[in-house]
Amino acid sequence: MIALPMTPLLELQNITHTYPNGFRALNNISLSITAGEFIVVIGLSGSGKSTLMRTMNRLIEPSAGVVRFNGTDVTHVQGDGLRKHRAQIGMIFQHFNLIDRHSVLNNVLYGALGSMSSAAGIMGRFTQEQRTRALDLLRRVGIESKADNRADALSGGQKQRVAIARALMQNPRLVLADEPVASLDPATAHSVMDHLEAINKELGTTIVCNLHFLSLVRRYATRVIALRGGELVFTGGPDQITDEWFKAIYGDDAEVVE
Amino acid sequence: MTSKMNVFLSWVIDALLGAYLAACLVFVILPAFFETDVVSGTVAPWLVATVAAVFLVASVTNRASLGRLFLTGTFADSPGARTITQHLGWCTLVFSVLAGWIVTDVSISEFFSGEGLAGAGRIFGALVTPSTDIVGEALYAMVVTIFTALLATLASIPIAFVLAFLAASNIMTASPAERLVYSVVRALLNITRSMEPIIWAIIFSVWVGIGPFAGMLALVVHTIASLTKLYSEQIENIADGPIEAIEATGASRLQVLWYAVVPQCVLPYLSFTVYRWDINVRMATIIGFVGGGGIGTLLTQYQGLAKYHEVGTLVIIITAVVWLLDVISARIRSVLK
Repeated sequence: MIALPMTPLLELQNITHTYPNGFRALNNISLSITAGEFIVVIGLSGSGKSTLMRTMNRLIEPSAGVVRFNGTDVTHVQGDGLRKHRAQIGMIFQHFNLIDRHSVLNNVLYGALGSMSSAAGIMGRFTQEQRTRALDLLRRVGIESKADNRADALSGGQKQRVAIARALMQNPRLVLADEPVASLDPATAHSVMDHLEAINKELGTTIVCNLHFLSLVRRYATRVIALRGGELVFTGGPDQITDEWFKAIYGDDAEVVE
Repeated sequence: MTSKMNVFLSWVIDALLGAYLAACLVFVILPAFFETDVVSGTVAPWLVATVAAVFLVASVTNRASLGRLFLTGTFADSPGARTITQHLGWCTLVFSVLAGWIVTDVSISEFFSGEGLAGAGRIFGALVTPSTDIVGEALYAMVVTIFTALLATLASIPIAFVLAFLAASNIMTASPAERLVYSVVRALLNITRSMEPIIWAIIFSVWVGIGPFAGMLALVVHTIASLTKLYSEQIENIADGPIEAIEATGASRLQVLWYAVVPQCVLPYLSFTVYRWDINVRMATIIGFVGGGGIGTLLTQYQGLAKYHEVGTLVIIITAVVWLLDVISARIRSVLK
């Protein structure tokens, strides 16, 4: 096989972020993500995992450093450029963040807002094509039958699957998952992770996922990144996380919970 | 607030307090008890100034300061400061009650005088024997008042809806310009809300003439200010998660407001608005007294003519309608929860 000089899908260079209250969440982090990876980020609460993720889709503008997506510098893009950048990256959340009072189908359709004009979006002028695609995505995550239900009538696992469909509606190159299974029971957690894995393997979508459970990390990650106090302390394969490493990341008193 | 600013403010408060206490004593309390000027007119201002100066010195030398207690919740440093400050606090209360009693002309003897009680009896008697001649006229005026309130509430909704976004601190964060707009809108709303609807009614009854239209306009101004405040506080209380999720799809600002903010606000908005309509019916009645039309205007007319049986009819209708609306609005709001 010939090694081609490939542009990384996403590149962080010396990213530092300090919040207005003075808290430094990220300290000089450099990271390169290749298309097709399933990256799991681990670290204590407050170690900077969520902030790191939000610099990638520019929900947060980092205080210093450079964010490159597909070779383009997006560190300080604003307005339409920012919308375009975000539209290429799907995101799912611990608390699902659906619009509770709206239908499941509409929630999926909102994934298309980034590609629509402000006015068309507000008037809900989704095309027939978009509707068909949204239904297809709901079928993919196995809850097509709930399309007309209100989002708040679903269980936690179902909500997260709707959120996945919403993210896929964006046709994303990259999906960010911020502790996607932290509010779910273990069985449901595996089903949600399996969906993410399928997206990664079948659609070739790159995944960056914040996780707490080591068993899930070993099962799903192709590469693991560990943060401690806003610094990158480890990057490597999931099999390289030994108990010593675990203690280095989570502190000496930590015990592995499988 | 810097501590230096606090210290200076506490001096001002203490000097003003000294002047207030002295003035209460010299101008109100002593003349009422002694029926003559105990302190002559030329000396009085100097006395007030002297007491103010004494309070100022006590404050500056940190011996006793109510101003400091008011601003920072702590007592002055000198021993005994706590006791002196507490005594000053009690003095202020006692002087204020005495002065208040005197300036409101409170008179127990008039309250229980035979003539007075007879007059009260006549009025209460008339009120419980209402005239049936004006029931039609009164009901029509009541309907006018209810619709004035309804129209004022409805007209205010779209304006308050838009203004609420500008007055929500969690929405107006993108730039210093937005912070400025937020502050200006907030300040204008506070000023508008501080002016009672009855003042607006006086203004509009000159502007568009006496009648329900003036009353409606007065209510619109006040309702916009009140609803905007309630709506914007609701916006400030919504969950951030859906906002972040819709932002992450690449949605525009307007789309985020429409899909992530508005759905979380609709039900509370409805509830606030129904409650506001209920308040507006009561306010529309009061506004009628100064030319806002409807049942309030009718009430002042009959009261002016001393036709107390007719006044009785109006009072009964107003009370019944206000009570009924209160029940209905509470019911609607509980369903909306």
